[in-house]
Amino acid sequence: MSGMKLTLKIWRQKGPGAPGELRSYGVQDISPDMSFLEMLDVLNEQLIKLGEDPVAFDHDCREGICGMCSLVIDGRAHGKDSGKTSCDMRMRGYQDGDTIAIEPFRAKGFPVVKDLVVDRSAFDRIMQAGGYVSVNAGSAPEAHSLPVPYEKAEAAMDHAACIGCGACVAACPNASAMLFVSAKVSQLALLPQGGPERARRALSMLEQHDKEGFGNCTNEGECEKVCPKSVKISSIARLNREFLRASVLY
Amino acid sequence: MIALMNALIRYATSSIGKKQIVGLTGLMLCGFLAGHLAGNFLLYKGEGVFNAYAQFLTSNPLLPYIELALLGVFMTHIGFALWVTWEDLLARPERYAVRRNAGGRTIGSSTMIYTGALTLAFLLFHVTVFKLSGEAEQHVRGLFGVVIDCFKSGAWVAFYAAALLGLGVHLSHGVQSAFQTFGVNHEKLTPGIKAAGLLFAAAMAVCFGMIPVLTKMGRIG
Ligand code: HEM
Ligand code: FES
Repeated sequence: MSGMKLTLKIWRQKGPGAPGELRSYGVQDISPDMSFLEMLDVLNEQLIKLGEDPVAFDHDCREGICGMCSLVIDGRAHGKDSGKTSCDMRMRGYQDGDTIAIEPFRAKGFPVVKDLVVDRSAFDRIMQAGGYVSVNAGSAPEAHSLPVPYEKAEAAMDHAACIGCGACVAACPNASAMLFVSAKVSQLALLPQGGPERARRALSMLEQHDKEGFGNCTNEGECEKVCPKSVKISSIARLNREFLRASVLY
Repeated sequence: MIALMNALIRYATSSIGKKQIVGLTGLMLCGFLAGHLAGNFLLYKGEGVFNAYAQFLTSNPLLPYIELALLGVFMTHIGFALWVTWEDLLARPERYAVRRNAGGRTIGSSTMIYTGALTLAFLLFHVTVFKLSGEAEQHVRGLFGVVIDCFKSGAWVAFYAAALLGLGVHLSHGVQSAFQTFGVNHEKLTPGIKAAGLLFAAAMAVCFGMIPVLTKMGRIG
């Protein structure tokens, strides 16, 4: 059989707080058309046959929309392809004989659950702190009653593209989740529906962010380079403005 | 009143608030540097002019208050910068075994705490020599004389050059970063702000750094 032979160095950790280490594994017959996660499936099938514990890693949609996959591949969140999630990356960027290091997202706010799986419920709590619009229940309003200019709608969409994967945290030298918070705050701040709760939202989402143990943004710009949805750090600038405005007004 | 205090505390202890305090004080220090440099240029005018300027500054009755304010700005900048940096270290208790930058970081952005510390070490020496130097030394040729004497030493000149290079690197990230921290980021403006920040950083390092070098070469004095 043809296909690539690879050496994988994978972080293995039995459970939360347990000691872990990078362990080496060999895989064969890897087709360049496989996705990165399919390559890990090959490894796991092999491990199961040997009676070993398969490598735990998060995934769901496997098409770059759910934000579950969360690998740091050779020191880069979601691997070397810009604008893509780990699941969306193909093996064609690798060559026979390559060694690939695979680690979990690392941050105080993302404790390791097992192997490559981390607990990202901190993001849920940040959302619960204000990442929503409170509406009166009732029939849907007439669409034209809330005019939204085209540019604003587009800009809001650019922020709404965030899938909450947490790669920004993984890539940030300070493990800050500011790109995530800024995308969520900006998405609503740009739309009239988000207006009434704008100040409270910025303050309480940031407060929750800080409580979760994420670091401070020092404008390193690493996050925007790895964001699979290409959210830009101008989004963080908007959050900084929103926060300043809210601190004065609210 | 209590509500205002609470709001201030909430601001100053939040991640963005802390950063904005570092940014604001950093920009204030940049303003101070520019003013300080303007004064330094009078060294090129010779002993008389420079000493008269020094005399003018020290005879200002408000000077102690201005100095106190400046000290406050420095302490605030350093205090909040250390706080931010310390929290950032704690935010990633377990490091990556393999770490590759994705292309956002610069030499300046990744060394802020070191270039800041170098600047601080420099400031302590600088203030000791030029401000707290004995009255007796100043009586001979005034502050001008103190400057000229100091920069006869090659070691001092080298230390100054290194420290000012550090300051330049600090500002190469710092200036544009402070704008981002205050939310100024715009497709049209940001490239200009970044270029201006670099220019300012280079100008500070070169213009301050030239004085010890030219003095050593005998061009001033
Ligand atoms: C003349 C002296 C100084 C000037 C003009 C200056 C200027 C600045 C500026 C403009 C920033 C950017 C703030 C931002 O990103 O919003 C900054 C950040 C910083 N400064 Fe200074 N600084 C000076 C001295 C110092 C000193 C003595 C330290 C001491 C340790 C220091 C440590 C830092 C650190 C660690 C940061 C980064 C903070 C962060 O990333 O949030 N600086 N500085
Ligand atoms: S598994 Fe859904 S985005 Fe990767």
